[in-house]
Amino acid sequence: MTEPDTVDTTLRALLADVLGLGEDRAAALTADSGLFGALPEFDSMAVATVLTEMEDRLGILIDDDEIDGEIFETYGNLLAFSLRKIGE
Amino acid sequence: MAEHCFRITPTGTPRATILIVPPLFEEANRTRRTLVLAMRALAADGFAALLPDLPGQNESLVPLETVDLASWQDALAEAAATIDGPQIIASLRGGALIDHHPKAATWWRLAPVGGASLLRTLMRARVAADREGGVTSSLDSLQAEAATAPLLLAGNRLSPAMIAQLGSAETQPVARLRTVTLGSGADAIAGTPLWLRAEPGEDAAMAKAIAADIAAWSTACGIS
Repeated sequence: MTEPDTVDTTLRALLADVLGLGEDRAAALTADSGLFGALPEFDSMAVATVLTEMEDRLGILIDDDEIDGEIFETYGNLLAFSLRKIGE
Repeated sequence: MAEHCFRITPTGTPRATILIVPPLFEEANRTRRTLVLAMRALAADGFAALLPDLPGQNESLVPLETVDLASWQDALAEAAATIDGPQIIASLRGGALIDHHPKAATWWRLAPVGGASLLRTLMRARVAADREGGVTSSLDSLQAEAATAPLLLAGNRLSPAMIAQLGSAETQPVARLRTVTLGSGADAIAGTPLWLRAEPGEDAAMAKAIAADIAAWSTACGIS
């Protein structure tokens, strides 16, 4: 689970599951796609669910002091955060 | 006080009764429609299917902050005790944490989850909501608060006992047990993890797959 492509695929599937995006919308996400504040489905409960699922599916542990609003601003930010956590 | 129990029964004597233990908290709402579709499919296949309300959940009049996992285990055992004939316990997600008290013929669990994971998600939702409201909280500060007073987590006011029990709750061994996950393979069914969904959805194909897997397990256990 260290390949960037694998992480990207896992993250898109996870967002599709939590936000009910469907495969097409999940595949169409780009680095600039807005998440929190841009997708109406992305509320505080969805943020929490995404974090727990990221831990389970990517095999990482996320401390709550690492989480700020920026991580969920765009898909690119979320992917970069995931890759950084996996690299730790 | 007796809780509401939604039931769908076949015509004639049922092959067995499936007691469905729903997921906990918001996950119960997200999966209810698909579970009821599975119950309809089970009834069409000759099974009775029951979906009891846990005290403090769904239509219950009991305040949520007065219950905990132990009282949910007792409530389920009471619901199970009213069933005539062979019974199969079918639990989803956090339902698997409270399903081991009844004297059932067999158990079936879909995507069981530990209590700590459920609690962590609820606490994170509170931290995220606090942050939106300009309040600073953390998992540690909430945990400390929850030691002495009920805590409001994603719309659920949970007692210190509930939070403490959730934090350490694991599924308990039962016999015989079939555990299935979502995915492909012999011990999996195809479907979507609706319990994670921000908006309620339904998956009719998954409902049919759930019913078929439970029916096959019933036969494999020699029930009917």
